[in-house]
Amino acid sequence: MGRQTLKERIPAFASVIGLGVLIAAYYIIGAVRDANVEYGLKAIVNQSVVVALVATGAVFIYTLGSVDISLGAATGVSALLGAMTYNATGSLWLMFFTCVGVALAIGIINSSLASVFNLPIFVTTVAMMSVLSAFMLILIGLNGKGDTIKVKARDVRPLDTIEIKVGILLAYIALCWFIFTLLPTGREAKFIGGNPLCAFLSGINEKKLAVIASLVSAVGIGLGAFLSIVYAPTLNRNTASSIGMDVIIAIVFGGMPVSGGPRSRILAAVVGAFSMGFLSQIMSMLNLGSGYGQMIKAAIFLLVVFIALGSRRGKLLTR
Amino acid sequence: MKNMKRSICLILCLLMALSCFSAMAAGKIKIGVLVSDATSSEALAFRAYYTEYIAKAYDVEFIYSDELTDAAGEKSAIDNFIVNNCKAVISFSSFDRPAQIDQCDAAGIYYAVATGTLTDEQYEEYKDYEYYVGAIGPSMDIEFQTGYDMAAYYIDQGMTKFGMFGGGVPYYVDMHIYRAAGMLTAMVEKGGEGANYKGADNKYAIIGQIYQDGGIDTGKIGSLELVAYVGGYDFNDAWFGKLAQMVGTEGIEVILTVGSGVDVLGGFVAGSNVKLATVDSFTPAMGEAMKSGILDYMAGKYAASVGPIFVATYNAVNGAPIRDNDGNALALGQGFWVATNSEQFSEYSAVDSSNTDPAYTREIMDKYAGMGVSYDDFAAFVSQYSFDEIVALKK
Repeated sequence: MGRQTLKERIPAFASVIGLGVLIAAYYIIGAVRDANVEYGLKAIVNQSVVVALVATGAVFIYTLGSVDISLGAATGVSALLGAMTYNATGSLWLMFFTCVGVALAIGIINSSLASVFNLPIFVTTVAMMSVLSAFMLILIGLNGKGDTIKVKARDVRPLDTIEIKVGILLAYIALCWFIFTLLPTGREAKFIGGNPLCAFLSGINEKKLAVIASLVSAVGIGLGAFLSIVYAPTLNRNTASSIGMDVIIAIVFGGMPVSGGPRSRILAAVVGAFSMGFLSQIMSMLNLGSGYGQMIKAAIFLLVVFIALGSRRGKLLTR
Repeated sequence: MKNMKRSICLILCLLMALSCFSAMAAGKIKIGVLVSDATSSEALAFRAYYTEYIAKAYDVEFIYSDELTDAAGEKSAIDNFIVNNCKAVISFSSFDRPAQIDQCDAAGIYYAVATGTLTDEQYEEYKDYEYYVGAIGPSMDIEFQTGYDMAAYYIDQGMTKFGMFGGGVPYYVDMHIYRAAGMLTAMVEKGGEGANYKGADNKYAIIGQIYQDGGIDTGKIGSLELVAYVGGYDFNDAWFGKLAQMVGTEGIEVILTVGSGVDVLGGFVAGSNVKLATVDSFTPAMGEAMKSGILDYMAGKYAASVGPIFVATYNAVNGAPIRDNDGNALALGQGFWVATNSEQFSEYSAVDSSNTDPAYTREIMDKYAGMGVSYDDFAAFVSQYSFDEIVALKK
């Protein structure tokens, strides 16, 4: 039971090492293929920041051992209502607050349903995903301007900068890190994820934590929705639809088990999201076609997870 | 530890091997292709024409996007093309064309629209952009006419009870709405005195009504009747149930579909007396459907229809963009081939599916690839899109 050796600790950093390897591969392949790697870095940030935001918030929910599959639909509805608010008022601040406010409202509904009916968050989010997907169609219909809801690109272009996006991401990560690491919330959530019965017997209020997790996650969803509008101000029924799956992949790619518990880490989501970004860019440079690219991505994903789980294999209890 | 080292080495070796392999394509002109449909037979036919014929004939490399579902995906894909030093983008994806044009213009790469067009408003805004090559494809007027001709074909045969599959109408897919509007307009115009659809009695009113409703209502249209309608692509049991119910509707004679007719209705129509008409492409599956009597009428895109927009893009990349007398980009309409029997379909399909002698061969396109091609000559070339005209060009 002594201190872990360096050899034992390295697998815990496998996801970070994996990210490093992908960055190295990106530069090497970029040089071989004569690609514009500098532009590519901006593209990676643009493509990863929304997933990183939503996934960072979702870490709270995953830590509890739960899964939220309505993340994409919640982001989509928040973005659509945010865009409609902007079109009605012309205020970017109101658009921002609408995105975050709608996401918080959805989070409250999710967690309230889970508390009132004593249901797992996963179950309420299944229902919520269907409701929100239908609601997106209703909103687009109400808007009455074809199959999209648009904000004028020139109005949001000043916000479409790497500095603003990275700034928002860093601020949110700092907030989440503070809540997760410095407040009892994180430890209690890990306890519930690791052993819910023990946590219950120790007097930890799971419902309260579920509400907190939903609200923190909702802030990430709202910020992601806002940046989705800024990045691509033409929204449709598929807006953010892939985020739910991307978040799961990012979290696992970042070295965190989807079963939650004591090995949950806030930074896992960011590492995973950017690893996916680099991997996608590498596949794009190799021009393998989406089919082969997806298969290779899947193989690399499995390898990284295999290494990350290496230190835990054969152990009864995680710490 | 040893496992991890091995795994990292494996990943790096794999990626390096792939990069060396793909570097063999270096030096070719790279063109990015945006696609919102990567799996339909129509999309595969377009792709095969580009990658298996054009890429070899003109020594270019096509880099395809993943299947795009929204404007954010389009923007990311164009970013990826820019990273890959693509000289041009040909777009089959239309979630936000203005944003695509702006992005390409800012990056200094050429942009062209395949199998579609800009709206009049959009064209006015972008026609003089240096990097906007133009658009060649079915305009909304052609989409409308396609639906109109389909309905008129059956009305002229004396049929009176119609079903309709609206595909993307509930999702406000413009081309589907225009095709559906064309069908309804034909019914209104040929339905006798006082015929109207929910009070609308002309093309524009009908288009407006569909946009307002996000769907289509059944009912009498003069002496004709729309007896059943199903829209959307739900692909669940209830939706398939509605499709089956539509085929079984009493008295129904023909089902007009704005697209995907055989895929969604073929199984129900087989063995019935109901005729099926659709807009699709000249693929073996459609050929089988027509041969077996499931499909009765098809307005189809042909794979090589994307040849002319490639020529225009190729010219632009090589410093010879085709512009009109005022320096404006291309805006040319291109319609469908219509087959109403199996023999006709086979004749069209044989030309369309050839990777060695497609509809638009290099010999034909070389007449318009290079310096000094006038807008009028190129427009005349594109306007000859019917099967017979293209066969004549080959001689």
